[in-house]
Amino acid sequence: MDLGLKGKKAAVTGGSRGIGKSIATLLAQEGCDVSICARGQDAIAATRAEIEGHGVQSFGTALQGRDGESVRTWMRDTCETFGGLDVLVCSLSAGGGTNDERYWYRSFEIDLMSATRAVEEAYPHLKASGSGSILIVSSMAAAETFVSPMAYNAMKAALVTWSKQLAEHYAPKGIRVNCLQPGPTMFPGSNWEMIKVARSRIYSGVLRQQPTRRMGEAEEIARAAVFLASPAARWVTGATLRVDGGYTKGVQF
Amino acid sequence: MTIQRVKPGDFTKTPVEKTDDPDFGTDVIPKERYTSRDFMQKEWDRLWTKAWLWGCASQDIEEPGDYIVTSIGKEEILLTRQPDGTARGFYNVCQHRGNRIMMGQGNATTFRCNYHHWEYRLNGEFENIPDADSFPQGKPPCGGLTEVRVQEWNGFVFFSLDPDGESFDDFIHPLKEHLGPYHFERMVKVTDWTVEWDCNWKTSVDAFNESYHVQGIHPELLYFIEDKHLQIDTYEKHNRYLIPFATISHRVNETTEIPHLIKHAMKEAGMDPADFDGRVSEIRGALQKFKRENGPAMGIDYSELNDEQLTDDYHYMIFPNITMNTHAEDLMMFRQRPHETDPDRMYFDVQMFKLLRKDEERPRKPRNERFKHGERSMGLVLDQDAANLPGVQRGMHSAAFDGLWLGDQELRIRHFHKVLMDYVGQD
Repeated sequence: MDLGLKGKKAAVTGGSRGIGKSIATLLAQEGCDVSICARGQDAIAATRAEIEGHGVQSFGTALQGRDGESVRTWMRDTCETFGGLDVLVCSLSAGGGTNDERYWYRSFEIDLMSATRAVEEAYPHLKASGSGSILIVSSMAAAETFVSPMAYNAMKAALVTWSKQLAEHYAPKGIRVNCLQPGPTMFPGSNWEMIKVARSRIYSGVLRQQPTRRMGEAEEIARAAVFLASPAARWVTGATLRVDGGYTKGVQF
Repeated sequence: MTIQRVKPGDFTKTPVEKTDDPDFGTDVIPKERYTSRDFMQKEWDRLWTKAWLWGCASQDIEEPGDYIVTSIGKEEILLTRQPDGTARGFYNVCQHRGNRIMMGQGNATTFRCNYHHWEYRLNGEFENIPDADSFPQGKPPCGGLTEVRVQEWNGFVFFSLDPDGESFDDFIHPLKEHLGPYHFERMVKVTDWTVEWDCNWKTSVDAFNESYHVQGIHPELLYFIEDKHLQIDTYEKHNRYLIPFATISHRVNETTEIPHLIKHAMKEAGMDPADFDGRVSEIRGALQKFKRENGPAMGIDYSELNDEQLTDDYHYMIFPNITMNTHAEDLMMFRQRPHETDPDRMYFDVQMFKLLRKDEERPRKPRNERFKHGERSMGLVLDQDAANLPGVQRGMHSAAFDGLWLGDQELRIRHFHKVLMDYVGQD
């Protein structure tokens, strides 16, 4: 099956590490030009080199996710550099970890607002694309109680509702919007890698609930993401796909 | 990832120069030092009765008449504050029939033995002997309690059982200059535990003299400290390493989320992790800057400490048995004391001190709590150390083990044994 991504232009927020990076490089492998934004300049440079290794163009900006204007500027610069945009993946996240008040603002800005800002800037270009698609990366932590009450889980839940409404709103414009809910995912430098060592009881508690007794790998998440974002999924919109190796126990009707 | 260190020319009062690593060779450290009763006796004769030893905190005997009883091996020492403000120490033994005189700590106007109520003044002289005329030979000619040498420094009281030994200044050199800037005398004691451990006192000293074991038994700390690339300095008797805190080990990958121990350190300083936009590896420097700027508002005086002292652990060993985890706002001190008779047992004293912030109420003075290993938790990291040591001690007795096979990261252990053998003389 051809995903139909060759020659397309894609942007991935938070595309320098983990799941975001895996999505970005897989899109490049499928023939997309790929733009990324993230905090660390070094990681951006390394990921861009990997993207370009697939014979496509890359673009990237180091920015703080809660700096709204920077996110918007990156999105505009991306569209200008590539001469348009076909695929937007919103994967940037502040991560979890605490329920302190300031973290609610942080998660709100980075997980939720970076997505809405990027979408707003990308909209005219996605509309012009004819096969535009948006993929919002939420989390399985939005769907079930997970670890502890915290901003991360609630903001990831907000993304699900927003993406569904966006899907209906954008469908007449030819833009598909889908949502992805990864389960616990392990990769070098992942927060789970840290939790495994630094808070081993939390880690083993989570792993016990995973029927396969292992966490997902970034590429296992990225494969589903790239399919949803690609023209191959042209009749899929407003969907929320859980990719968690069977972690969640609730039945989705 | 490179760790920023204080550079030549940067402000510091505590010396930060790296000392040349001495060449102590690579020989095995004989295990008998940890297991032999003969060696234990030599230690008593040549070390414990000769060296200066940490006795108590000055605040344990704050007011005239305050006293505290500490022990080393078979001896108990009564440390007390005099009306003129000086500290003095005496063997805690009644000259009549040898009974111990005081127990624990408290305040007294005289020291009175419970047995026949022989009574001594705060300066040790006889005050009253009931029915004194029933002793045809008169009072013991010593005139009262037997005094030991006492020296007070930086909030601590040291004593020496050797009336003719070296001066305290010579003994402690060069640590006065090193530790003075921390002003331990401004800190208040918040924890006072004595734990009986099933190992030799040196097995415990060794456990805190290297950070090579962090990747072994304290994996959590890899997300809070740099455990390998640290500076080791050895002096005449004492030694230290400077270990970066509030950072992550080179052994692990940098995460996007701030590890919980680092978050905790930020919050303690009043720095909100949610508002920090940099990378995890940038926190240590940012936290130093934040503390420098916000310390005065919190009522904490950092003016004599260099930048890295604001986050790191300048980890000192005061020979023979004091481990000091020094931090800008607190001190976690361990004292390792030998058992009275058994080389396979010891007393592990934990004393923690902290600076009070502005308007922070002084907590109640802690009572010395005594327990055995495993009876209660001392916190995850110390529990991990404690759980490990009986197994080490047991292995020392194995026919298949000759002694300690030490690497470069364990240089402080070699240095400790060098100084130990300077005192003890022979295995």
